[in-house]
Amino acid sequence: MTQRATDDWLSEDDRLPPDSWGRRKSAGPRLPWAIILLITALVAGRFLLTPHLTAPALRTWATIFVAVCLQALPFLVFGVVLSAAITAFVPPSFWTKALPRQPYAAVPIAGAAGAVLPGCECASVPVASGLMSRGVAPAAALAFLLASPAINPVVLVATAVAFPGNPAMVVARFVASLTVAVLAGWAWARFGRPEWLRVRTHTAAPGQSKWGSFVEAMRHDLLHAGGFLVVGGLTAATLNVMVPRSWLTSVGELPVLSVLVLGLLAVLLSICSEADAFVAASMTAFSPTAKLAFLVVGPMVDLKLIALQAGTFGRAFAWRFVPLTFTLAIAVSFAAGWVLL
Amino acid sequence: MNRVSQNLLLLVVAGMLLKVSLLSETYVNYVKPGFRPMIIAAGVVMAALALAGLLGAWRNAPRADNDQGDHGPDHGHDHGHGPRVAWLMAVPVFALTLVAPPALGAFAVQREERPPPPKVSDYRNLGGAGVTPLAVGEFIGRAYGRSLVGKRVKLTGFVVKSSRTGQWYVARMQMSCCAADAIALKVAVRGASAPKEDTWVEVTGTWIPWKGGKVPNGFVAPGLTASDVKEIDQPAEPYE
Repeated sequence: MTQRATDDWLSEDDRLPPDSWGRRKSAGPRLPWAIILLITALVAGRFLLTPHLTAPALRTWATIFVAVCLQALPFLVFGVVLSAAITAFVPPSFWTKALPRQPYAAVPIAGAAGAVLPGCECASVPVASGLMSRGVAPAAALAFLLASPAINPVVLVATAVAFPGNPAMVVARFVASLTVAVLAGWAWARFGRPEWLRVRTHTAAPGQSKWGSFVEAMRHDLLHAGGFLVVGGLTAATLNVMVPRSWLTSVGELPVLSVLVLGLLAVLLSICSEADAFVAASMTAFSPTAKLAFLVVGPMVDLKLIALQAGTFGRAFAWRFVPLTFTLAIAVSFAAGWVLL
Repeated sequence: MNRVSQNLLLLVVAGMLLKVSLLSETYVNYVKPGFRPMIIAAGVVMAALALAGLLGAWRNAPRADNDQGDHGPDHGHDHGHGPRVAWLMAVPVFALTLVAPPALGAFAVQREERPPPPKVSDYRNLGGAGVTPLAVGEFIGRAYGRSLVGKRVKLTGFVVKSSRTGQWYVARMQMSCCAADAIALKVAVRGASAPKEDTWVEVTGTWIPWKGGKVPNGFVAPGLTASDVKEIDQPAEPYE
């Protein structure tokens, strides 16, 4: 252990150039101790613990956890890059020209603009945060946040493929998701208070170039959102392994309850919005309205998204916004299912 | 969390992404093969960000010490505890290194007690007398469409025990995006002794028509009388 720690200490040392090394020492201890400890733990654990970590339940849990993280990270990186680019390169005047001043009018336009961002929900959180920090009305940015993972072309095509010969499901998903996004935006414009929402303010340090602030915003968002993504991944994987699906499908026959149950299942499973249509299609025991609720709720409210939102916008925001969105999504799914399916 | 730690942590996570996608093919155990370029790109972006940050920290070392101290760019934010959550990004690295989780197997299949009935699609006609390799999902779909009579087929999957004597399952997980959305597909094998659970096998045999010629209402795993069972390595794509 001691020997290994010393080796890591030395290898970390190699990465730091000698001249700054001397200065750092004089300014106080600046060694990244936590990282050294982390790598030591990884190496030691690999030899000491790996042979014992073979329980099938643990391995299944780890597979699902790693899968959620691996699948979400590229989208998160994409969203963070886009968000940082918005913050650093798009002047605030662009948004005041592109969107109406009046938040009530800006909400539907921002919601519909969600159709052009191809990605899943992990990308939309940092982008919405970037929009807010550039002066876009929070209500409009939130409408974008809710709409974009559900109504972009990639997701709609995936839905059409999962429900062959049933274009009504695609239409219902688009209409219901956009409606929820706009209603939630309006509700926030009417009842929301600024102190509930934490808006990141990246002010470029004096003398910092545009590129400098781009890179800085990216690093900050990635570390922050990445940590919360892992919180969501841990919860989703745990529930995925612990709650048997048969336990939920047994209520498939009850009409109203089944809609609520699939809505709740969408929250717990935290499936990427590009894949959820295939999962919904496989739940043949449920009514079309219940499947629609699964498709509308999933991209707007799920465990990893709640963690991401709480981390990005603050807990005071998440407590209020998550129940609001969930209730609206269920209600609109009932209405859309009634009319369209 | 100081700047050097932030960047080293990003470098560790980027290393994990590149290790599973670029340097090996372990990523197929977790996500669809189509994700590879995206995982590689994410890893490259993160690595570049981390290296640029380390370079910057080295160049500006004295100034950074005087001006910003440990808090770096987070100084003045209203979420001082924020970056601490970033340490959690190391958890997937630990899960991958310590548990090295394999593709979903028998445990995941048995957890899902009542799989959905299959969708019946129009399949092409199977060729003549030879053995036709079929995906497990297609076999189940064809069994429900009854287009399998008398055909010899070959299925590839892993072994799952059955509670009924005299049979075991050859199973495969079907995934549309990542392992979190995987669905179990299984076919009951009769007429051959079961290999060890989770062993990958190629089973050659013929479909056992439904009892009384009636397609069942809910899901019942269709049966196969095996003429040959061959143990194989895990295929390059463990999911269907």
